[in-house]
Amino acid sequence: MLASADPATTVGIVANPASGRDIRRLVAQASVFPTAEKANMVQRICGALGVLGIGRVLMSTDLGGISAAVLRAVRTRRDSEAPWPEVEFCELDRLTESAADTTHMVRRMIDAGARVIICLGGDGTARVAAAACGDTPLLPLSTGTNNAFPRLREATVAGLAAGLVAARAVDVPTATRRASMLEVHAGERTEFALVDVCVCTARYVGSRALWDPATLTELYCTFAEPDGIGLSSVPGQLCPSPREKPDGVALRLGPPDRARHVVHAPIAPGLVVPVGVLDCRPLRPGERVELGTTHGVLAVDGERELEHRGAHPATVCLRPDGPRCIDVSAVLRAAAHQGLLTDIQLNPTEAA
Amino acid sequence: MTGTLPTQATGELSAESLLDAYRTMRTIRMFEERVHDEFATGEIPGFVHLYAGEEASATGVCSHLDDRDAIASTHRGHGHCIAKGVDVKAMMAEIYGKRTGSCQGKGGSMHIADLSKGMLGANGIVGGGPPLICGTALAAKQQGTGGVGVAFFGDGASNQGTTLESLNLASVWNLPAIFVAENNGYAEATASTWSVASDNIADRAAGFGMPGVIVDGFDFFAVHEAAGEAITRAREGGGPTLIEVKFTRYFGHFEGDQQTYRADEVANARENLDCLKRFRERVTGGGEVTDEALDTVDSEVAALIDAAVAEAKDAPKPSQADLETDVYVSY
Amino acid sequence: MAREISYREALNETLRQEMERDQSVIVMGEDNSGGAGSPAGEQDAWGGVLGVTKGLYHQFPGRVLDTPISESAFVGAAIGAATRGQRPVAELMFIDFMGVCFDQIFNQAAKFRYMFGGKAVTPVVIRTMYGAGLRAAAQHSQSLYPLFTSIPGLKVAMPSNPYEAKGLLTQAIRDDDPVIFCEHKALYDSIGEVPEESYTIPFGEANIVREGDDVTIVALGRMVSVASEAADQLASSGVQADVLDPRTTSPLDTDTILESVENTGRLVVVDEATPRCNVATDISALVAKEAFGSLRAPIEMVTAPHTPVPFSDALEDMYIPDAQRVINAAKSVVEWER
Repeated sequence: MLASADPATTVGIVANPASGRDIRRLVAQASVFPTAEKANMVQRICGALGVLGIGRVLMSTDLGGISAAVLRAVRTRRDSEAPWPEVEFCELDRLTESAADTTHMVRRMIDAGARVIICLGGDGTARVAAAACGDTPLLPLSTGTNNAFPRLREATVAGLAAGLVAARAVDVPTATRRASMLEVHAGERTEFALVDVCVCTARYVGSRALWDPATLTELYCTFAEPDGIGLSSVPGQLCPSPREKPDGVALRLGPPDRARHVVHAPIAPGLVVPVGVLDCRPLRPGERVELGTTHGVLAVDGERELEHRGAHPATVCLRPDGPRCIDVSAVLRAAAHQGLLTDIQLNPTEAA
Repeated sequence: MTGTLPTQATGELSAESLLDAYRTMRTIRMFEERVHDEFATGEIPGFVHLYAGEEASATGVCSHLDDRDAIASTHRGHGHCIAKGVDVKAMMAEIYGKRTGSCQGKGGSMHIADLSKGMLGANGIVGGGPPLICGTALAAKQQGTGGVGVAFFGDGASNQGTTLESLNLASVWNLPAIFVAENNGYAEATASTWSVASDNIADRAAGFGMPGVIVDGFDFFAVHEAAGEAITRAREGGGPTLIEVKFTRYFGHFEGDQQTYRADEVANARENLDCLKRFRERVTGGGEVTDEALDTVDSEVAALIDAAVAEAKDAPKPSQADLETDVYVSY
Repeated sequence: MAREISYREALNETLRQEMERDQSVIVMGEDNSGGAGSPAGEQDAWGGVLGVTKGLYHQFPGRVLDTPISESAFVGAAIGAATRGQRPVAELMFIDFMGVCFDQIFNQAAKFRYMFGGKAVTPVVIRTMYGAGLRAAAQHSQSLYPLFTSIPGLKVAMPSNPYEAKGLLTQAIRDDDPVIFCEHKALYDSIGEVPEESYTIPFGEANIVREGDDVTIVALGRMVSVASEAADQLASSGVQADVLDPRTTSPLDTDTILESVENTGRLVVVDEATPRCNVATDISALVAKEAFGSLRAPIEMVTAPHTPVPFSDALEDMYIPDAQRVINAAKSVVEWER
């Protein structure tokens, strides 16, 4: 088995307390992801990291109760339990209870030596963490609503993968994959999307979520999988484009009665709706596209984010240099191949 | 293949509706700031708990309501009263303890009510309102009016048995009720992060079989949209919803509270999150409403509040003859 | 011969007639129908724990509501519905359970009219069962009506027999104020003459159960029959008692009580409640203040002792005021000499 990692080896964990609570629970019975389960996931990750000898975890703080529950768990651990890494809480001068907290926390963790960032949240959280983590490998775990990007993964297994990468037991080229991302410029604001950018005729960001297809006019996706959830499921059915391919897709949307294709797509959990597609084409890396409206709301990764009312149209560009994401399957395949989680005993005690 | 979908109604707000919403929020703000100033002079008796900073919640919710609908409020109730259409001058007179007040000077700040407007009263008892709203929702359901009941309550009341019992009853009876948890971070001087074991009040909805959502309470559009969906759902027989609105109150728990338990969150909220500033930026940025139109509302509201205070100060106090009236309809 | 029915049947008939008369009358409480949510069982299985609401569920669809065991929520809901045009009759199974929902009764229902400047009406009835005698012990046997009586804004009715039960409940439902309707649990099977047609008994008008010139005995609820039994025996020994049933403790018919004491000069008050701050002390204070000059002897109060209600039948029988104690009290005031 893997020799114990250097005790200074550090993993950062960012858990978003706000994920999984927006209006989609009201309009479409989207899943509820309780704080207690997020805290449990952190503890399962810590357990896996402890087994690998990872010495230090930097844990985000929040006012939503996740860090408080983890702190309680740290304080009440008994000596008889398997050791955890030292858990240090990454405190900000002021929590804003907004996405800025995630950004600041990720940067601090990397400055403090985190070799891997594990991020618990939905597409929105992963997007913000990705923008902040530069070349540091990112492992996004799904605890949100509309999770096209982060995968639903057992946290224990994810913890093992993160620990193996942090300990450099599996090399980064094997363990990670560069994701593409979409860069949106709207006036003076720049936003990134890991999965999709959508133009919406709604006038206000409002409650952020998107659920009414009649308001959508344009859609750009980094990838489109047939079994995806969210807006990328529309091209996923019509013109799939795997994550591994550098190309994305660009669609013009319109009313179903005037569209050549009407895709019945799961655009959000609980919502399979007809979406009219006027046309669909590949989006090349580096290609900058002007959006067809100067007034409207731009949604990134399924959430209304920008109210664009500039004199100039907003633009979107597919970039190949997105976050370096840990491929959990690839890491554990490598671990199996190298026997990293296997001990060979020369003189096993015979069973009685 | 598809069910009926809710519409994203926010985009359909007319310029007139936007101005109405702004007027309501501005009225609440100016009312509360003025009460704050006047209280400091010692002329207002008793306790007052001010709603400033939270305007988007009352306004975003109540702009969907009409006379079929009833709301129950809290000790921090001025904003709900104004948003539900209670006469501002009568409210001010009530706060001054005058005969011309909404309750003829017998209720005061914590008990302003106008049942003709479906305003069941500010309430001095934390957690007093949710059971009552189960009743108004039941009445609406039995009478077939299509009306809903909305219980506003705070993070403190979210820990009261009455509130939790009401969430349960509303689901059991499938009532057209909306529970709006206004989480301003502190119950008196105790942080909700300490007192609410689930941390998010909305999380409790799952245990009562209803949707629970969190919205940004500084954002009128976010509240308006979520409330609209919940109210439509309730009117159509879909049952209750819990909406947690998160924000910061601008003043202390009550007037006179030194607020040594808080750091600089109020300054930050006023500077960066203020619902009125954000509203103005957004509606003028999009050209739906002009700055001039909003400025006109500001001066009209200022005149209204000036008049309300002047009239309240001049109004007569209740007399001996009023002391023992109106305890019973008949006795 | 006039029809005789039980106290329970009188209450049931009243609810039925009022629900037929007025669409806004609704009934709610724990197991008021009974059987809610049972996949195979009968709905209307119980009709309330004492069967008072039995049979209403099927006759009035949607107007007889079972509730979770959540007194705060459903008593509060009854009060809220009353502010919006309904006339709810909520059943608080035992008066002892007011401890879990008292806020809604005394801070909400009782206050609305005054606190809102006379602009609210809250026509709600809270039916509740009180009293000792069924070996139900300390948390299911109390006589807590004095607490409600002390609160302005509430009316408190205490029917002493089936006739009173029907007339007072009809009045309670039609009344625009919140009414606490106290039914004694030992009276449900009592039988008496009750007219079939609807009638009301006005609140605040005492019933003169028996006339006499020697002593005034004021008794409440179940104690009315105890006082009447005592009066029968007193009569055989030559003492004629004026027995008054105030019917409602709020409002209280002070005039009839004072007139009687001015005639007899002697007062015994029989109250099943514990002795401090109860209705007996209230009436005694009234008489001492308003009719002091007429009194020819100290006032006597026959009440429960200042203890919780005991369980053992031996103790509970000692706890409840009985006819002998009333006789002793009456004789002591009649025979009193300075």
